[in-house]
Parts: sequence; structure tokens; C-alpha cells
Amino acid sequence: MKSTKTLPIPYILKQLPNATALVDNHADLIDASDSWYALFDIDRNEPLNLITFLKDHKDIDKDALQEILSTNANATLTHSTMVDARSNWFESTFTPWFDEQENAIGTIIQTKNITDSVENTVELDRIKTLLKAQSEVAKVGCWEYDLGTEELNWCEVTKNIHQVAPDYVPNVNDAIAFYKQGYSRNRISMLFHKTLEKGAPFHEKLTIITQQGEERWVAAAGKAIRKQGEIVKIFGTFQDIHEQVMTDKKIRESEQLLTTLIDNLPINVFVKDKDSRKILVNKAECDYLETTPDALLGKTDFDLYDKEVAQISRDEDLEVMRSNKSMIGKETINVKRDGKTTNFLTSKIPLLDLNGKAYGLIGMSMDITNMKQKEDQLRNLINVTAIQNKKLINFAHIVSHNLRSHTANFSMLLDFLIRETEEKEKKRIMKMLFHASDNLLDTLENLNEVVDISTNVNLDKKSLNLSENITRMQQNLSAFLEENQVEFENFVPDDLTVLSVPAYLESILLNLVTNAVKYQHPDRTPIIQLRAIKQDSNVLFSVTDNGLGVDLERYGKKIFGMYKTFHNNKDARGLGLYIIKNQIEAMDGNITVSSEVDKGSTFNVCFNEEIE
Amino acid sequence: MKKLNSIFIIDDDPITVFGIKKMLKAITICEDISDYKNGKQAMEGLKERLQHGYPCPEVIFLDINMPIMDGWEFLEELVNIKLPERIIINVITSSIDPIDYKKWNDFRLRCWHYLNFKNKPLYKIEATDLSRVHLAS
Repeated sequence: MKSTKTLPIPYILKQLPNATALVDNHADLIDASDSWYALFDIDRNEPLNLITFLKDHKDIDKDALQEILSTNANATLTHSTMVDARSNWFESTFTPWFDEQENAIGTIIQTKNITDSVENTVELDRIKTLLKAQSEVAKVGCWEYDLGTEELNWCEVTKNIHQVAPDYVPNVNDAIAFYKQGYSRNRISMLFHKTLEKGAPFHEKLTIITQQGEERWVAAAGKAIRKQGEIVKIFGTFQDIHEQVMTDKKIRESEQLLTTLIDNLPINVFVKDKDSRKILVNKAECDYLETTPDALLGKTDFDLYDKEVAQISRDEDLEVMRSNKSMIGKETINVKRDGKTTNFLTSKIPLLDLNGKAYGLIGMSMDITNMKQKEDQLRNLINVTAIQNKKLINFAHIVSHNLRSHTANFSMLLDFLIRETEEKEKKRIMKMLFHASDNLLDTLENLNEVVDISTNVNLDKKSLNLSENITRMQQNLSAFLEENQVEFENFVPDDLTVLSVPAYLESILLNLVTNAVKYQHPDRTPIIQLRAIKQDSNVLFSVTDNGLGVDLERYGKKIFGMYKTFHNNKDARGLGLYIIKNQIEAMDGNITVSSEVDKGSTFNVCFNEEIE
Repeated sequence: MKKLNSIFIIDDDPITVFGIKKMLKAITICEDISDYKNGKQAMEGLKERLQHGYPCPEVIFLDINMPIMDGWEFLEELVNIKLPERIIINVITSSIDPIDYKKWNDFRLRCWHYLNFKNKPLYKIEATDLSRVHLAS
């Protein structure tokens, strides 16, 4: 048996591990543990009054202290000191001290340094505030699901996003039901259960229908939290990204609209940089150059066009960028490497940076080749019309002149007749009137013949054997030809055909041959040479005679005119050449003459063999 | 009645020639009226007269539209021929084309001879068509 030695109380106190002090009823320090002295860094041998000592401490309720010590009450106070700019926090517990007779003879004070704990609390508060602020600003909420309790917690922001009341208590089913039916709901359900079972994290953009029925885009993320390998919780964030998605969508839509617009414009659009390299091209431009956008980007006109054309374009680019002035609606001609020419109506607009300096240009070219061709066609048509019109006016003058001269004769003769008394003279005048009447009928017939040609627009052209037609003409004229002892030299190939109205070909052959005979040289036997040769789209037919010839210097302009005769020939009506010229021209051909006086003439007829 | 030595009628239309001759009978006495079918024949006739020293016509009736050599071509040659006397030339035409009137006026201004312009139909030949002397006096 071991006897216990009782240590004196003050010594036990000295060794207590927790800082402990004893004070009497006047708060004078009786004794304290070494740890107490160490805590406050004070000398054991100095007398000390606790109230006086603690009065220097901060954050202490001095009145309470006085009260506690004077009444020996049970209480706890916190207080702090500043050492080297650092706060030390203390917590002192006051307990009354009794003697054997249960008389309160002082107070036992136990003090703890609680600085770390206080600082932790402050830091926690700070972090919480920060987190809350951050989540409110970023509209990032969070949620947490406890697998054990099956409880789902939403933070304030998450609730706000769902537009539910702050006291709303969510559960997993309700939470999933917030997602829009269809893709969003199926997706979140699948992701959540995957995380639940396999711990796979997720982050997805989905749409929810809020409590108030608004459809909003959210970014939901989740991550499993494990404890000793087991999934115990799922923590996640929840963010309102509606505005962002909408803005993105709007930007994408505008972009899409712009791209669709540019690509489908029937105009070549291109953007060039300072060195005239293409940095954007639309579909029309690619189609025109028969390539892809990738193959065009970075290329200059020198890579794509004829050198001369490229230089002109480059000069335009430089001028636009130098002057900062747009070039609008200029007619340009592009010649591609394969030699294909295109007419464009081109505009170039400088692209300015923030300092107003050009760093490139936007170009737009409209293909006006077709329009140009139409314009040319139209111009040709106008020319044709002008010629036709001239012809018509000329014809109108001929008509008016010829009719007028006959009617003038009638008028004059009738005037004579009325005043004439002598019977013999009257008869003479009457004879003249009949003559004038015959002349008028002849003239009308001639004019009618010409009008027929000019108005016959639907010409029925046929492929006719030229040689056969010549033979037929010779047969028809046989008496006339024999009488004049005409010698024919026919060099026309037997199989040659010409495209002509049958009646017109007959008229052309007849007129040219009879003319050659009519204007034969009195000293020579008439020789007529006929030749024909096929050229690209024409047949050239010529009639050469050895007759009188025509002074072309003098009559050249008139030879095919109406009522123009150049020889004293009784049969000359001045109509034959005028009519066949009209017939030939009506068939898109032409007739020319070469002649030398006293030697002979050659008439060249060109038949147009192109089928319209 | 005014007496004239020589008159030329240049026209390819026999009816007009007949008419002019008939109208002349009514106003003048002239033994020497020659008619030609075109300018060329008339020019040859004129030159022959000059060559043989026969009297030249005092008055010419000239048609414009004629074959071989028309009235304008005749005038063009006449301007370049030296003649002893001024001739009264009556240009007669059925044309109402203003170009013909303008051409006549051009000739009138550059021609030494007297030029009149007469449109068909003709009904009467005036004294002024045959003489200028009376007018001047």
C-alpha cells in the first residue's frame, strides 16, 4: 500500500496547465499558475490587482468585470491585447472561490488564448460574405445533394434563378422538373444519375422553365464528393447564362444573316487588305473565278487576271485608299487568265481604321456583260432602224415626186382642155391625157412592186441550185438572147446552192443578164461570164459583161437608185437594179458593182447562207 | 408680144415639154425652141451652138429629175461655161422636197445667170420668166 503525500495547494496551482489565477474579494492577485503569468508575460513577484490589470485590455466590459468580482458571480468575458500590432484574444471564466465553510473568499479565473479561434471566425465570415457577393454578381449559384439524407440544398442565387421563394425547399425530382421538357430535362436527368452512380462530373448548357414560367438558359454543373472512396454528396454550380446565350444567338443570327446576304447577292463582293490581297470573298466572286474561298484568300488580282487588267485594278485600289474616296459604279473590264472577258460595274469603298486611315477596301462588282451585249444589240437595231427609216423617207420622196409629176401633168392638160376651142387641138390634148394616165398606172405598179419587197418580212428562203436556175433563166430569155447573139461563159459549179426566195433569185438573174445585154457595146458581141464561189457563210455570185460600162465616179452613188438611168436606152426604166438591190438586202445579202467605161461591168451579189 | 431668139426646154417628160411649148405660144414669138430629154443632150446642144457661133438660148426651162444628167448636174456644168449673155433659167420641178429648194437657192447665189424656181403644175408662163430687162427698167 502506498501512502499519498498531500502537496500544499499553492504548489499545485503553480503547476496547473491551464492559465489560472486566484484573487481575493478585493481583486488583488493571491496566486496564479505559471501558465497564467506566461500568458500575459508578467512578473510573478509584482503585486497585481486584476481589475486594474484588465482595465488596460480592450473589448472588455469593465462594469461587468467589477460586478463579477465584487459579487463572486459565475461568468465569462472576452478581452484582447495588442502586441506588435497583432490582436491577442482571451476568454476568461470567473468562478467563485469558497473556503471550507462555504464562504466566498475570492474568485478563480481561468483564461484561454482564443486568438486563433477568433481569427478563424472572422476569416470564415469574410469568405462567406465574399462568396455570396461573388455568386450574386456572377449569378452563379450552387447546390448540394446529400446521398445519405437525400436532401437537396439550393443557395440563394440558385433559388433566385429558379424564381422561387427564399424558403423554398427543393428535392431532386422537383429540381429536374424545372428543366424544359424534352432535351433539357432528359439530359440533366441522365447526367445527374451518371454522377450519382459513377461520379462523372458534368457541365451543360440547358433551358429551364422558372417558377414564373419564364424560359431561361442556364449552365448546370455537378461533381461528386467522395469520402473514403464512397460518393457521399454531389456539389454543383448553377448559373444564369440566358443573356449571354441570347446575345451569342443574336450575334450568330446577325452573322448568319450577313453571310447569307453577302453570299447570295448576285454581285461579286470582296474585301482587300492594304496590299490588295483578298481577305474576304463571297459566293458570287468564287463562282465567277470558278474556285473556292480558301483558294482566293490572300490572292491579288495579279494572281487571277491578265497583267494589264490587274495593274488597272491595283491602281484603282491605291487611289481609293490614298484619297479615302469611294469609287462608285465604274465600268470595268476583267480578262481572266483563260481570256474570258467580263464587263463589270465596280464600286470600291475604303475601309478606315479608328484614325481614319484606310487599311483596305470593300469591293463590289456587278456583271453587266449581258447588259452590255444587249446594249450593243440595241445599238445595232437602232442603226438598222435608222437605215430603214432613211430608206422609207427616200421612198416616200420618190412616191410623192412621181405621183406629183403625173398629177401635175393631169392638172396642166385639163387646164389646157378647158380653154381650148380648136377641136383638133382638143383631141391632141385628150391623147396626152390618156398617155399621162397610162404613165401613172405604170408608176403605181412599179411602186407596188417595191413596196411588196420592203413589206415582205416573212421571207421563205430555200436552198436553190444556182446552176439549174441559170439554165431556166436562159430558156426563158432564149429568144432575146439569140436575137442579141449573146455568148455565155458559165463557171458556176453544178452542185452549188444558194439560200434565196425562189422568185427573188429569178428576178436577180433576169435583171442582171438583161441589163448586161441591154447595155452591150455596139462594136462587140456581148459576152456574159457567170461565176460563183462559196465563202464561210456566203455565196459570192458575179455577172461580168463586156458592155458599155458605167462611169462610177459620176453615177456610182445613183446606180442602184430608183428611176436612175445612165444610157440613152429606150427600154431603161431605172427600176431593175433598184428592185433587185431591195430583194437582196431583204435576204440579208448585198450587191456591189465595179465597172470601167467602154470595157464592161461586174455585178457582185453576196447571198447570206446563214440560217436564222 | 415679147420676141425671143432662142429657148431651151430640158425635160424627159414629153407632156411637160408639150405644155411649156403651148404656154410659150401664148406669150412670146420664138422661132427657135429646142427640147432635150436630159442635161447631157442639152449641154451637147449648147456647146455645139457656142462652137458654131449660133445664138445661145435666152431662156432655159430646166427639169431636175432626169436620167443620165439631171438638172443640178447640168447647172453645175453651166456655171463653168463662159457665155456671152446672162440666161434666165426657170428650174421646174414636181418635187416638194425642201432640199431641192435649198439647192436651187445655193445655185442662185453662186450663179451669174438669173434663176427662177417653179413648182409643177404649170398653168401659165409669166413675162418675168422670160425677161429681166423689163423689170429693171
